[in-house]
Amino acid sequence: MIKKTNVINISKMNKFYGKFQALKDIDLKVEKGGRIVICGPSGSGKSTLIRCINQLEDHQSGSINVLGTLLDDNIDNIDAIRREVGMVFQHFGLFPHLTILENCALAPMLVRKESQANANMIAMEYLERVKISEQADKFPGQLSGGQQQRAAIARALCMKPKIMLFDEPTSALDPELISEVLEVIVSLAKDGMTMVCVTHEMGFAKKIANRIIFMDNGQIIEQAEPKSFFDNPKNERTKLFLSQLM
Amino acid sequence: MKNLSQSLSLIDLIRKKILVSKINTLVTLIFAALTLWILYLLVNWAFIDAVFGANNRSLCLDPTIETGACWSVIAARWRLILFGLYPFEEQWRAAIACFVIILVAGLSTLSYFLSAKNLSLLWLGGFSLFYTLMRGGIFGLTPVKELMWGGLPLTTFIFSMVIITGMPLAVLFALLRRSELPWISRSMGLVIDTIRSLPLLAILFTFAIVLPFVLPGWLIGDKLYRVIIGFTLFFACYQAEIIRGGIQSLPGSQEEAAKALGISYWHRMSRIVLPQAFQRAMPPTVNQFVITFKETTLVSIIGFFDLLSSANAAYGTALWSFAHIEVYVFVAAIFFVFVFTLSRYGAYLENRLNVTKH
Amino acid sequence: MFSLFKSRKNRNKALQIGFVGFLILIVIAFILTARSNLESQGLTSGFDFLDRATGIGLNFSLIPYKSSDTYSRALLIGILNSIFVGAISLTFATFIGIVVGVMRTSRNTMAKLIGTTYVEVFRNIPLLLQLFFWYAILISLPRPTKTTGIFDMFFLTGRGIFTPGLNISGNFVFFAIMVMIATSGFVLWFNYSRRFLKFDEIKKFKIKRIVWIVGLIISIVLLTIGRIPGTELINIPYLKGLNYRGGICITPELMACIVAISIYGGAYIGEIIRAGINSVSFIQSEAAHALGLSNWHKFSRIILPLAIRAVMPTMINQYIWLFKATTIGIAIGFVDFFMVVSTSINGSGQTLELIGILMGGFLMINYLIAWTLNRVNNLIKLKGIQVN
Repeated sequence: MIKKTNVINISKMNKFYGKFQALKDIDLKVEKGGRIVICGPSGSGKSTLIRCINQLEDHQSGSINVLGTLLDDNIDNIDAIRREVGMVFQHFGLFPHLTILENCALAPMLVRKESQANANMIAMEYLERVKISEQADKFPGQLSGGQQQRAAIARALCMKPKIMLFDEPTSALDPELISEVLEVIVSLAKDGMTMVCVTHEMGFAKKIANRIIFMDNGQIIEQAEPKSFFDNPKNERTKLFLSQLM
Repeated sequence: MKNLSQSLSLIDLIRKKILVSKINTLVTLIFAALTLWILYLLVNWAFIDAVFGANNRSLCLDPTIETGACWSVIAARWRLILFGLYPFEEQWRAAIACFVIILVAGLSTLSYFLSAKNLSLLWLGGFSLFYTLMRGGIFGLTPVKELMWGGLPLTTFIFSMVIITGMPLAVLFALLRRSELPWISRSMGLVIDTIRSLPLLAILFTFAIVLPFVLPGWLIGDKLYRVIIGFTLFFACYQAEIIRGGIQSLPGSQEEAAKALGISYWHRMSRIVLPQAFQRAMPPTVNQFVITFKETTLVSIIGFFDLLSSANAAYGTALWSFAHIEVYVFVAAIFFVFVFTLSRYGAYLENRLNVTKH
Repeated sequence: MFSLFKSRKNRNKALQIGFVGFLILIVIAFILTARSNLESQGLTSGFDFLDRATGIGLNFSLIPYKSSDTYSRALLIGILNSIFVGAISLTFATFIGIVVGVMRTSRNTMAKLIGTTYVEVFRNIPLLLQLFFWYAILISLPRPTKTTGIFDMFFLTGRGIFTPGLNISGNFVFFAIMVMIATSGFVLWFNYSRRFLKFDEIKKFKIKRIVWIVGLIISIVLLTIGRIPGTELINIPYLKGLNYRGGICITPELMACIVAISIYGGAYIGEIIRAGINSVSFIQSEAAHALGLSNWHKFSRIILPLAIRAVMPTMINQYIWLFKATTIGIAIGFVDFFMVVSTSINGSGQTLELIGILMGGFLMINYLIAWTLNRVNNLIKLKGIQVN
């Protein structure tokens, strides 16, 4: 029996915005090396859920356990988790006044207290990994959307995270630029990175996910392996959503 | 097609640019005539019929000669206007001090000084030089107390102090105002809005005259510095709102991405948010500097001998009481030079910002 | 102990309490020090001084005033004077601003040049300096004994500008003007307010007509009651001794304030309006042309209304700022709110209370201006999400 360690363990989590309940009774377990894709209609709480994992949003009840640390009020815990969990945003979030190299080297320097030379080395290593090392001295505004998002992925990777969160990474890209970003994420998955990805790209989901989660109205409606999810959806709402997509 | 464009002769150009229609032509002619006439009167008054030379006061008053401007008042009283009651032999120090500040301001526009560290070092260095020159007491310079400072140096001194102490305070206020903690942001908002809705003159007056009542004896200090503190508070509140506008114009994902990377609050602010916020807030900031420079004239009402009150003193004697217009024009010209330069720089910055935005 | 501060919730609470506590501490420290200072100097505190006679003269007031009147009346006069100067100057400044803004955005190069010169000259010279300048010119006008009037009715002297006035008691004129302002205000509100949009057009017109007539009648009645018996209606100034008597005297202090603030404000408002006109999208301008609208119509019906809506928030800030600028009247001796307060401080010694009244007064007036103009802004602003 191979014991799978759960790197993310969310149990009975609820989140409220004032009186509005955004997440209801979420139960989610992610094992090491797991690749979870979350899909669902807009407003279903997908982004809110993954933003709770690195506490960009806080939860009101239930427990979130990441890499063995319980995420609660304790600031030290939150800071520790953010160092180990990387996040990629829909609108890239690159810092426009710094070069791509500086964008990537900043966090290792300030947070992991690396020397500038070391940080630059790490940055170049990951920029090569995402295949834009020649853009290292350019500013984000001079890059295409696809290049910017790949740079954002490299920036997150420079912190050598154990988990990667993707919040609709390709939704803001022109169609012809989507594939270059998806390629990078696929290669990350092949290297064994644990990831949780919110996306509308179902082809991509089929390719890399080992579990697909469908959310609606703040609740997890259905969880299944890709094959059974797409071919044999059990819930009516899942069927409706899939029929609108295909 | 080529022939058409070549046929746009000079007449056509004039027609297009200036004489757009019949009414336009008429309006232009009337305005032009009016302007030329006013210009003729002005040039006559200011130059042709004017009296120059410090000793020609009698010429100005002579009822038999048609005279224009009596610039003799400037020739005779310019030291008083520019330097106030500063001792005669030491006025060269005051002149150099002012020049230092002008140099510092000019250097600030160079891109070398665009970083916060270099800029603050430049201003602190320049200002210390200014103060040493004015105050004296070391390096063999005779001491001259703040009481004797006046005219242009005093105006420059007040302006520089307000800016140097006001900017860091404004950053602090802006950050507090933007705090995620509701009590802090709301109470800071209350403080800022209250101070902003009060007239500056009332604030200066309060700090000069009322504050001694509410302060323990040891804290009262010199009237000049009390007034500067009040002025700084006022400036910081206006500037804080400008900086806050700059911060708010940043897309939210910047701060979020920095948070997700684990970067601490201070590093987030100092490396990511504030540098960009300042870039965006540059034009309104320069505008605020311009307004502050003009507002320094208000201290003349509280009894300080700044450039404006020394102007009043210059023609306030029985000898020169008829020459008020000439004195005012002279002082207005001095202000105009400073203020116009500053505001042109602000306009240049704004243009550059609009070009680089896409 | 330290672990307490590691909790995000606790730390947030502590920071908030600490900050607000710090502010309150400063205020309390001031109050306590003030109390002990005042006690040790034997001065009283409290607001009873407001009922004491001032014993000071004021050279300009809209309502009658004697030096035996109370401090509260003097302060009221100060506020009224400030509002008076503010309202007139702001109105003039707005007119000048619109003219200058239009000139700067016209295609006529000459007009653009004049507009730009106006703005650059009057914006780059401090307001106080401009005030002194105009004041110096106004008091160097010839003495009353040496002037010849315009139409023998208007006299420009160094003691003031004398115009014919009405022989009606001051209080009644004041009330009559208030009634007319209230009537116009009501009609404007009634006309544009959303609450009454559904009313039948003809009914609205009738109501407006009735309100106007009632307002006029009340004003005329007030003016008739106020007539000073035994005199003619119009009061022409005449020379007696060294000065003119009768009529209305616009003191040089008042005139200088109005002129300086109007010109200075006009320059700033001109810039704001220019930005507003430029911000009106080129597309709308072209569409107006395509419809065949004449240049004047295109300007007055499309561009100007859109420009004003665009710059309303900035204008509100500018108005508040300009109203605060009326305090410089003290530099030339104009009896505005600030001047009354500072003279009263000299006379009664009740510094803290009077400063409190000064601040409170300005806060209230600024809040009133902002509130009224914000209501207007909400009424006229463009609804929904704009495309271009």
